[in-house]
Amino acid sequence: MKPRKSFRAVFSTVLCVGLASFVFSQDENSGASNGEMEKLQEKVSDLNGQLKGLEESYLETMGTVAKLNKIKVSGYVQAQYRMLMDSAGIMDATGKYAAPAGDFSGGKFSDGTRGLLHVRRGRFKIAYDNGLAQSAVQLDATEKGVGIKDAYLSFTDPWIKSVSLKTGLFDRPFGFEISYSSSSRESPERSRLFQTLFPGERDVGAQLQIAPNERMGMVSYLNLKGGLFNGVGIGVENDDHKDFIGRLGMAIPLTDINLAVDAGVSAYIGTVTNTDTTHASVVRNAANTADSIVNTRGYSYEMIAKAFKKSDDEGMLNKTYERQYLGGDIQIYYDVPVIGGFSFRGEYIQGKQPGTSSSSGFYNPGRNSTSGVYMRNFMGYYFMYVQNLGLKNQLIVKYDSYDPNTDVEGKDIGNTATTKLSTADLQYSTLGLGLVHYWDENVKVVAYYDMVSNEKAGFTAADGKEKYNDDLNDDVLTVRIQYKF
Amino acid sequence: MRKTITCLAAVIAIVASLTYAKSSSITVKGSDTMVILSQRWAEAFMAKNPEMSIQVTGGGSGTGISALINGTTDVCNASRPMKSSEREKLKTRYNSLGIEIKSAIDGLAVYVHENCPVTELTLAQLKAIYTGKITNWKDVGGPDGKIILYGRENSSGTYVYFRDFVLEGQDYSAMMQSLPGTAAVVNAVAKDVMGIGYGGAAYAKGVRFVKVKKDAGSPGYEPNAESIKQGLYPITRFLYMYVRSRPTGEIKSFIDWVLSAEGQEIVSKVGYFPIR
Repeated sequence: MKPRKSFRAVFSTVLCVGLASFVFSQDENSGASNGEMEKLQEKVSDLNGQLKGLEESYLETMGTVAKLNKIKVSGYVQAQYRMLMDSAGIMDATGKYAAPAGDFSGGKFSDGTRGLLHVRRGRFKIAYDNGLAQSAVQLDATEKGVGIKDAYLSFTDPWIKSVSLKTGLFDRPFGFEISYSSSSRESPERSRLFQTLFPGERDVGAQLQIAPNERMGMVSYLNLKGGLFNGVGIGVENDDHKDFIGRLGMAIPLTDINLAVDAGVSAYIGTVTNTDTTHASVVRNAANTADSIVNTRGYSYEMIAKAFKKSDDEGMLNKTYERQYLGGDIQIYYDVPVIGGFSFRGEYIQGKQPGTSSSSGFYNPGRNSTSGVYMRNFMGYYFMYVQNLGLKNQLIVKYDSYDPNTDVEGKDIGNTATTKLSTADLQYSTLGLGLVHYWDENVKVVAYYDMVSNEKAGFTAADGKEKYNDDLNDDVLTVRIQYKF
Repeated sequence: MRKTITCLAAVIAIVASLTYAKSSSITVKGSDTMVILSQRWAEAFMAKNPEMSIQVTGGGSGTGISALINGTTDVCNASRPMKSSEREKLKTRYNSLGIEIKSAIDGLAVYVHENCPVTELTLAQLKAIYTGKITNWKDVGGPDGKIILYGRENSSGTYVYFRDFVLEGQDYSAMMQSLPGTAAVVNAVAKDVMGIGYGGAAYAKGVRFVKVKKDAGSPGYEPNAESIKQGLYPITRFLYMYVRSRPTGEIKSFIDWVLSAEGQEIVSKVGYFPIR
């Protein structure tokens, strides 16, 4: 029985007994003995005690429930089937892939596989929210293992409740798509741009957020997030330099015309340390003979005349190189009569990215790395249209493009031995079409088709990458079911 | 490629036809303050439209808004405006800010026991009482005795509105007893000579209204038709209905009727104040 029901039951009993005793006491001719009266009084007293006990127990239970209410458990599981639509040209007779396929559409297909079932994400988040202080831990469990996604704590100022400090491992405050949850995102994956520049989305750092509350009028349309981060993603710091990441955003709700316009500008100002010790420097004595070999010389490469040129400077070990991104994003929401709401979202980012010869991705060299630093200027963008069809379905069209090296075009990429350019310098674009069906408040089903196009390269036979001289057959179909709780 | 696009188009056509299938059942969920009003609306509307079925439940404005976001109700009743964080969730799921319909006006009343000698309170005094800065009736012109605070649970729109408007965003005193529904607040105050509570004016039975003053120099007003219409009563709020996107079909018919003279007449009968 619930405490409140027990409370009522006992209360009613006490009332009845009390009433009975009252009536009884009024009737002097009833013949009731003093002994019976005493018994009744004892009974009432006993019930009163029970009532007080229950009241205490109820208040205690309410206190426990209030404490438990601060614990929030949430998560989601995404199971999916992915199929590479056509592997001709990129898979040899032994089943080995000559070019990676599906790596930005949910993970690279292993040799010999064209279709696979897998758990894309299995998230479990537990958070404790005490009003002005929150902490959360989120894990990701799939068939590949268990990994940490979030581990942070956050404090909000108790006065205007608009300034908060967050520290730990959490989403980097850049742009829109990074912080847009994978459980809510309509396309199965983030754009190639973000997967390349912000793998794992998160980093370890300390961030200040200013989000004026609604009582502040027009100022509440603005919000600012910015902080210092290790600059290594979900990993261990390897130098003393910290990266600044921040976004100034605004959200304007024009409720009278069912329109909302959100936008923001973001910046990433950081560095990558050259830890290349492969290329040793030979120290010679006065007789010009080799005296000793010291690992003090890292190499770096800059784009000059459509090729990477090695710097001749000495002592580049531990020198830092700029990692700088500047971006802008916009999201427009509008409710279309009869059909349902639509959103149009777009982001653009350009900047400088240190990498290696074979990768333009987020570079995080450990100590004593075996590669020099390759500097590239990059540019990327995406735009996405989501149209609700009634309340349960959505249609998605998404286009993204990422040019990791804006100083060269496809035809310039070849003759690797001389230019040191590689497949990592090719521009890719992806057109995605999809449908989302919301089965109920927990379950949604996504069918999504990625049409991936690469810039046509100019590789020679000596490079061994001639497959990239045409568009690779690497379109991917994804069918996903998600349960969110 | 062409086959893929053809298949996709066929799926969209099927989905769209299923999506717009007509429904004659409407679910309404949310504000406890609006439950009685909403039930009266539903009864009258169903009497005029026997083919329609309207289910009304309470739970609080927050609960109703969550249900609207989760897709488990068609219409949400709320005694406070939607928060920006709630609009964000609607944007994420439906690409819409939601449609807000002001359906009635309510004076948020402050009740005391019938034998309580305090007749007037300023907004500042109410704030001090409910934030725990004033704890004795003698500090506001009453007898020497501890003020017993009664209020609503945090899922209630009335709780949020009173906190945001009267308490100016500050937290309630930890001593406030949170009760499930305005009727429970009224009932508690009616039995407690040291009690004070707040809630919809329509519920006040067995308790006495306190006149509320904007400041010490202003006259005090009770929440009645005249003071609310003239904008004199300081704690006045709209009662809202929310839908996810522009209403169509039966939902539109119902909302249009609520805003009609007939629907607004029920507002007055229940004890609230018509929007027009």
